[in-house]
Amino acid sequence: MGLEIATQIFRRFREAPEDSLRHELTEAEREREQLVQELRRALRGSERRFEAIVGSLVDAVTIRDREHRFLYANRAAIAHLGFDSWEQLRETPPAQIMKDYMVWDEHGEPIAMEDIPSVRILRGEPAEPLLIRTVHRETGAQRWNLLKAAPLLDEAGEVEATITIIEEVTERRRAELREAFLAQASAALAASLDYEQTLRSVAALAVPDVADWCAVDLLDEDGDRRTVAVAHVDPERLSVAEALRSHMPDRLDPEQGIGRVLLKGEVAFYPKITDEMLVAAALDGRHLQLLRAVGFRSVLIVPMRLGERILGAMTLVGAESERALDRFDLELAEQVAARAAVAIENSRLYSARSSIARTLQQSLLPEQLPEIEGYELASIYLPGVETSMVGGDFYDVWAVRDSWLIVIGDVTGKGIDAAALTALVRHTLRTASEFDCSPARLLELVDSTLKKRPVLSLCTAMCVRLRCDEATLAVGGHPLPLLISSEGVAELGEHGPLLGAFPSVRWREHAVRLEPGSTLLAYTDGITDAQDQGDRRFGFVRLREAVAELRGRSAADVVEGLARRLADFQAGAHTDDTAAIALRRTPAGAAGADHGEAHEVTRAGTAPAIAATA
Amino acid sequence: MVRQARIAIRKQARGATLVLSIEGELDISTVPLLEQQIETIDESPTTLTLDLSGLTFMDSSGLRFLIELNGRAQREAWKLSLIPSRHEPANLVLRITGADTALPFAQQVPE
Repeated sequence: MGLEIATQIFRRFREAPEDSLRHELTEAEREREQLVQELRRALRGSERRFEAIVGSLVDAVTIRDREHRFLYANRAAIAHLGFDSWEQLRETPPAQIMKDYMVWDEHGEPIAMEDIPSVRILRGEPAEPLLIRTVHRETGAQRWNLLKAAPLLDEAGEVEATITIIEEVTERRRAELREAFLAQASAALAASLDYEQTLRSVAALAVPDVADWCAVDLLDEDGDRRTVAVAHVDPERLSVAEALRSHMPDRLDPEQGIGRVLLKGEVAFYPKITDEMLVAAALDGRHLQLLRAVGFRSVLIVPMRLGERILGAMTLVGAESERALDRFDLELAEQVAARAAVAIENSRLYSARSSIARTLQQSLLPEQLPEIEGYELASIYLPGVETSMVGGDFYDVWAVRDSWLIVIGDVTGKGIDAAALTALVRHTLRTASEFDCSPARLLELVDSTLKKRPVLSLCTAMCVRLRCDEATLAVGGHPLPLLISSEGVAELGEHGPLLGAFPSVRWREHAVRLEPGSTLLAYTDGITDAQDQGDRRFGFVRLREAVAELRGRSAADVVEGLARRLADFQAGAHTDDTAAIALRRTPAGAAGADHGEAHEVTRAGTAPAIAATA
Repeated sequence: MVRQARIAIRKQARGATLVLSIEGELDISTVPLLEQQIETIDESPTTLTLDLSGLTFMDSSGLRFLIELNGRAQREAWKLSLIPSRHEPANLVLRITGADTALPFAQQVPE
């Protein structure tokens, strides 16, 4: 009978979910009293049978009297506390056993004897299960234990002894911490392309759960080592690392430490650092002092590598927590280092690509707009969110004889192909305009050039020829430009076919007189197709509204106002590349306003009346 | 970036004609889905009809896809037939680019 009840108690401990344990114990207050009575009887009467059951439990079980002396410890408990026999354990004062360990709670706060569940029970306090981390002062071995305790009451209802079950959860707890660290580190590595910032976040995540110190060094292209991150949970300690850095040898030693990692790509693992090792490594007395101040206990350095290339090293240090880093830490560090290497590489490739794309894009747009007498000219180009890609939008303004030519267009596709196609279209237009600068004829030439290409090459374009105050335009598959004048906002011209797409097609020209103060605004569909975060499109209606509000403003105000409206609308949503160009005839009364008026308006095809102001 | 599915593609065989009904938005992010559907057609039909009547938006990537498909139909000698959208934002790019008359629409693209 007693035996059954004893095992019942243990089953209770084992089966009760940790958070409901206390609740369960209180609820069963009355019942438990009875159980304890039975247990006492069991302890006295059937010691052998009790031992047979409890003795073989995997979990450590101890029973202690009011003075913390051991009345009983099962085999698991004897081994757990580092003893060979029950007799040995019984003869060792409990305080001495405690002295061998450093103990923290799960948040890293030190734990004193008074906090231990069995001691709290003796004080008459509720004793919730307690998760503790212990490090053996001598060996540095780290363990996680879950302590659960219950009182054993005598006949008078006084606590006679406490029973404690020590469940070792080291593997489980470290697996949890490791998963959490891996998940957080991976998220941090994927979150940003600023890899130095990212590596600093990863190092910060590693302390104090994984190690006391974490540092990241990169190897730059010249083979020089550069420390990008040093983390410790106590910022004041970082000054020690700072001071240590000034003692870094100029040359890396390929045989040991970080040199071996950075130069040979091997792991450097020193599970136990002794003072003799520090003495041997120290360059001088001050250096030794600093090395001792860090309190190196255990050091693990793993390479961050991609194939044969070594990008850097990640260093974990066990120090004041006295923990010895082990194979778990090695595996974890290797996993994080591998992910970090990929993140660094991606980020470097991306910035290289972005800068190529930026250079290429700039070469495809005019460096600066020319000045056209009697007119204001302004443009914007907004690259898409993919800054590593060359967009398909372009514009150009150039003078040919008596005219100015203004072109805006969009080649379908992105990247190098789009860049090549854009260059082809711009070059074709500029060259062809030397012979014939009729907009419709220019579009025809681009169309036939595109159709000769081996792959489908499509391009939209709107081409304006400006002579004096007359604009002649032709549109190929492109949104019609807007005329902003005293009469409001109106579309100009008519839609013509996309370039490079369809057989036997033609384009028609439209001429319009630009009144002083009126503005011709040409744009690409990046504006109307722009989406907000709810997937709504900016659309033509919003465009017209925005443009109407900008009536009477300078050309620069119009394009900038439009860009601002668009940015407000998109508010962080995905953006495609976008271009717009505004041409405003200088209002009457402003400087140079009469220039265009002094000449007769010519219709398309007739002899030019003035020379362009190129 | 996580996006909701913005396109729905339904496949239906009517004799030698395969009809793909496309609803939603055909743009740079959804064109690959339609491309994939067309790549996985087992036997070449004699006629492929793309019913775009439920399409609410199309951008230049969608248009490029239609032009490429039309070129392929001509090279491989099968018939492509397009049914225009009931929604203005999907037809806009067709009218702007002249594709409304140049591509094989079974009915006139509404103004």
